[in-house]
Amino acid sequence: MQDILNIFVKSIFVDNMVFAYFLGMCSFLAVSKSVKTATGLGIAVTLVLTITLPVNYLLNKYVLSAGALKWLGAGFANVDLSFLSFIIFIAVIAAIVQIVEMIVEKYSPSLYNSLGIYLPLIAVNCAILGGSLFMQQKEFADVGLATTYALGSGLGWFLAIISLAAIREKLAYSHVPAPLRGIGITFIITGLMGIAFMSFMGISW
Amino acid sequence: MDKKIYKNPIFVSNPITVLVLGICSALAVTVKMGPALVMALSVTVVTGFSNFIVSMIRKTIPNRIRIIVQLVVVAMFVILIDQILKAFAYDISKQLSVYIGLIITNCIIMGRIEAFGLGHKPIPSLIDGLANGFGYGIILVVVAFFRELLGSGTLFGVQIIPLSWYVKNGGFYENNGLFILPPMALILLGVIVWVQRSIQKELQEKK
Amino acid sequence: MDTNKNSYTIIYATIMVVIVAAVLAFASTALKGKQERNVAVEKQLNLLTSVNLAEDAAHAADKNSYVEKEYAKYIKTSFILNYKGEKIDGDAFGVNLKEQYDLMKKIDAASQSDGKVSEQKINGMKAQLRLPVFVCITNDGKTADIFSCYGTGLWGPIWGYLSIADDFNTIKGAVFDDEGETPGLGGEIAERSFQMQFAGKEIFKGDAFTSITLKKGGATQANIKHEVDAISGGTMTSRGLNKAIKQWLEYYLPYIKAKKDANSSNLSK
Repeated sequence: MQDILNIFVKSIFVDNMVFAYFLGMCSFLAVSKSVKTATGLGIAVTLVLTITLPVNYLLNKYVLSAGALKWLGAGFANVDLSFLSFIIFIAVIAAIVQIVEMIVEKYSPSLYNSLGIYLPLIAVNCAILGGSLFMQQKEFADVGLATTYALGSGLGWFLAIISLAAIREKLAYSHVPAPLRGIGITFIITGLMGIAFMSFMGISW
Repeated sequence: MDKKIYKNPIFVSNPITVLVLGICSALAVTVKMGPALVMALSVTVVTGFSNFIVSMIRKTIPNRIRIIVQLVVVAMFVILIDQILKAFAYDISKQLSVYIGLIITNCIIMGRIEAFGLGHKPIPSLIDGLANGFGYGIILVVVAFFRELLGSGTLFGVQIIPLSWYVKNGGFYENNGLFILPPMALILLGVIVWVQRSIQKELQEKK
Repeated sequence: MDTNKNSYTIIYATIMVVIVAAVLAFASTALKGKQERNVAVEKQLNLLTSVNLAEDAAHAADKNSYVEKEYAKYIKTSFILNYKGEKIDGDAFGVNLKEQYDLMKKIDAASQSDGKVSEQKINGMKAQLRLPVFVCITNDGKTADIFSCYGTGLWGPIWGYLSIADDFNTIKGAVFDDEGETPGLGGEIAERSFQMQFAGKEIFKGDAFTSITLKKGGATQANIKHEVDAISGGTMTSRGLNKAIKQWLEYYLPYIKAKKDANSSNLSK
């Protein structure tokens, strides 16, 4: 239980996908002009991350990593497919995004109207693939911890994008020097938010 | 051949500072010059060659699985680079860790394939990809230059700031630890955008 | 040709998957030997560095062969200990430190459960621990035992090797590495300038085990033999390293103590 809580809090605040690792920056910067669209994308990222990461975790544990195929028989104990992990992870992500899109479209057209346009964007969102790669590096003990990590990372990303969107909405009323307008000032604000988030680093128990 | 193909991506439509693509996997590797340079090279190679390959097979790709086909081509090159680095430049591959894998989702690559590779002949596509990768690499190296020099006092691991300047050796100088932390990369990027758009006024955004 | 037909799409995808898989499998098999050698050499170099040997490996023309040669020359024996300090069978070089660390965490959790987990079960878990020891014979003919440690820093795992001289008290050298500590802050543990501080420190105060502690602001006068200067700006990493060193040395303690006592009784004779 303590492990779960620890990973959850750490992945939202300390190991924040955006501020600590710069993952998912492209869509983060492009879709953070208003809180409404940012919320949509944030939910979509959290959802897809929470679905793809456990799937990739199981694939990694039982198919890809060195000796993972032991359950097929002793002859497979030395098979190491980890060189395929990038391609498998990205294929799983692309496929799941496609499936989620189809399901949402079929069963909840209203949700599809608000979320649908973001889903295709997500297949190439580095936060999703990054989540799977960090999961592989961190070697979580079981699928529950991996899912917790996915949910926490997604929420951390969500939190980051709505905070930035809120700041950018207010920023529209400020007088920013012409060369910095738009992307320049957004970089700097994200940097300052990152410094603020670093104060969470002391969290531990 | 049209010079714009390789000139534009470096100055006028630089993928990072103008198009705002590919920042994801970029900034975390800019603490030191060495990894930044390897990352820049890797991205240039992947962008160039995947653009080339996709352009070669562009007429045969079934439209419905277009994105997947592109991803597979990109992922193949990234895995090859990862394997080669692990075999021949193990130390650097260790420093880049997961960020090599993240080249797959680097928006520059997919962006260039969609915008250029799918509609042009292979050779111009190759040049377009290489030029865009290079434009991206320049920014990485500039950011890494300042972060390593001001944050660690070194360049490529070689001490640049004289050791006798440091406070611990009786001098007056202290490395600025802030430059080593992730947020400073973004702030530096903001400053680079500022400088670029002060010179090239046509890039400034309208209010 | 109609590229939108189902059959075309499926055949296309199949052919692509086969080609890509073939290319990748070929590259992976062709490079595997080199990659595995790199990993092994890195570990050998770390072990040598912990005894302050092979410091010039980075400048060697062929780093890999140089390290392998030096390793074969200096480190001839290695063995695995259990938690009682008894030697058990196995290949010390192949012991996965992370697995041992995960087991240690489980043991900690079990022993803090206020008797919910029986003593017997905890001992059963302890019995599974495999602690690698490498013995280095230095140029002056003396031995130094190299002990491992593994723990968590701020962002991820940190690990290292401590070498202890043949009095089983004085540290000869140390080497640490990390996966993702902030370079320049927590990442400083991987710098030689930090690691060199460990040489000459002692892990026993009289007969009591003290471990080596990273102390903010430098070693205090009272504990000058048992403390080193912590990393400024790397509090969490320092804390993690403290814990890793202490935890692992405590598991090695039965062996170290036995050796140390044997030494002092030899001296008194």
